[in-house]
Amino acid sequence: MSAVSKTAIVGVGATEQGEIPGQSGDEIAVRAAMLALADAGIDKRQIDGLVTCKPPRARVRTGIDEDLGRLLGINPAFAKTLEYGACGFSLHVAAMAITSGLANTVLLTYGTNQRSARANFSRPIGGSSDWSAMAGLVHVAGPAAMAARRHMQVYGTTDEQLGWVSVAQREWAASNPMAIFREPMTIDDYLAQPYIVAPLRRADLTMISDGGAAVVLTSAERAADFRKAPVHVVAMAQQSALRNDQDKDRLMRPWIADIARRVYAGAGLGASAIDLAYLQDATSVWVLQMLEWFGFCGVGEAGPFLAAGHTRPGGALPVNTNGGQLSESYMWNWLHLYEAVRQLRKECGERQIAKADVALHAQTHDFFKGAATILSIHDQS
Amino acid sequence: MTEYQKPLPDPDDELTAPFWCAARRHTLVVQQCTACSYLRWPPGPLCPECQAPGGVWVEVRPTGSLWSYAVYYRALDPAFKEDVPYTVGLVELDDGPRMYGPVIGEVGTFAVDQPVRAVFEEVIPGVTLVRWELVSAEMH
Repeated sequence: MSAVSKTAIVGVGATEQGEIPGQSGDEIAVRAAMLALADAGIDKRQIDGLVTCKPPRARVRTGIDEDLGRLLGINPAFAKTLEYGACGFSLHVAAMAITSGLANTVLLTYGTNQRSARANFSRPIGGSSDWSAMAGLVHVAGPAAMAARRHMQVYGTTDEQLGWVSVAQREWAASNPMAIFREPMTIDDYLAQPYIVAPLRRADLTMISDGGAAVVLTSAERAADFRKAPVHVVAMAQQSALRNDQDKDRLMRPWIADIARRVYAGAGLGASAIDLAYLQDATSVWVLQMLEWFGFCGVGEAGPFLAAGHTRPGGALPVNTNGGQLSESYMWNWLHLYEAVRQLRKECGERQIAKADVALHAQTHDFFKGAATILSIHDQS
Repeated sequence: MTEYQKPLPDPDDELTAPFWCAARRHTLVVQQCTACSYLRWPPGPLCPECQAPGGVWVEVRPTGSLWSYAVYYRALDPAFKEDVPYTVGLVELDDGPRMYGPVIGEVGTFAVDQPVRAVFEEVIPGVTLVRWELVSAEMH
């Protein structure tokens, strides 16, 4: 079961990132939306769909389509808010709306002031949250550290190998003016950082940030009418792991391999055809896992793969060339899509990858859900 | 003795009271499905395997192995600030289910798949929590 979407991204927008005091998440989302519409060369009357999502752990009502539609002044044919809308999940809903005929051109927008609003991420995540809270197992760092520790002991992965996830992304961020964390970080700098939740350090964990990002998606046949070259959504796949605590290897998330198999089948290609990979990085451990489950290396081999420098600038598989959430900004994978589209459009200047024709964009929702999309400059890869 | 500041269970909670009652007797119990015998953790209103409602609480061996663990050097929940560095483990019981819980002992002595056993500690009157400690070689 794989989905071939026949849709294309024709506009992207991103606001400044970091701290945006005095603005609500919705105000930021509207600004991002206007930037995406401008990038697409259209105005709001040319969209007939709106997809929004609630930011994680927001203290106030934010990101609801009813509110954003009012602020944007639109009456779309289709409008939807995702409870959990990390970028790919939202993108897939928009693609479904277009392929099913509910809408022709959908605006997706996300904005958050979670840093300025001091959203609390130090709570248990996952299934048995009361039991986790009693044990002090709070923040995604806890279960991610367990997954990393298990990987280290079973496969021999080292701190240094894991460290190359965030060091490589920091190298990419150095040439991204939008990135919050751009100061150089060597592997020795990384190893000198104290543990937060061993074996994870500060650099292994996404910091919370304010910001916004937006996307315009349309049908493949309409895409040619827009200002910029379309980036085609060639294939999509998802998987949920709702059994949660009942699954033995829950923290390793082996079901991501099912997403990989389906999304590659949908696109008619394999891992070797991917020029760029955008792997959502709430923690560095998620990148470690996804490199394996998406078949860029064997299971258990991500440590040596990372240490060989494949994901760094100049490497064979550029990963998170925006710096990712670890160095650029915590935008729930929206900026990974922004970067992927701009790489495929060859707009990334100093960090532009020469061969940037096919990209993988993937994310997960803690231990429950994942989604992946293959993006290409061609309508069929 | 300072007051216990960390999150506590409601030992009278309708669903989980049998667990806390057993913990006070220093025994470990989990729910078992009366239809398919599946042992489930965490507690729930029905069996996630066969969807039969209810279930009975049965004693399981208070031993298992450390599937993995995380060592908190930063008290991301401030209630744990006196405890850092502290360790939380995922324990795979010898009888099957997996439980998260604090692991007591010297940080640096833990390893994945090491045998552990439950330790029952009354933290306030009427509330006994389950923690885990390594079963060292000489204890075998």
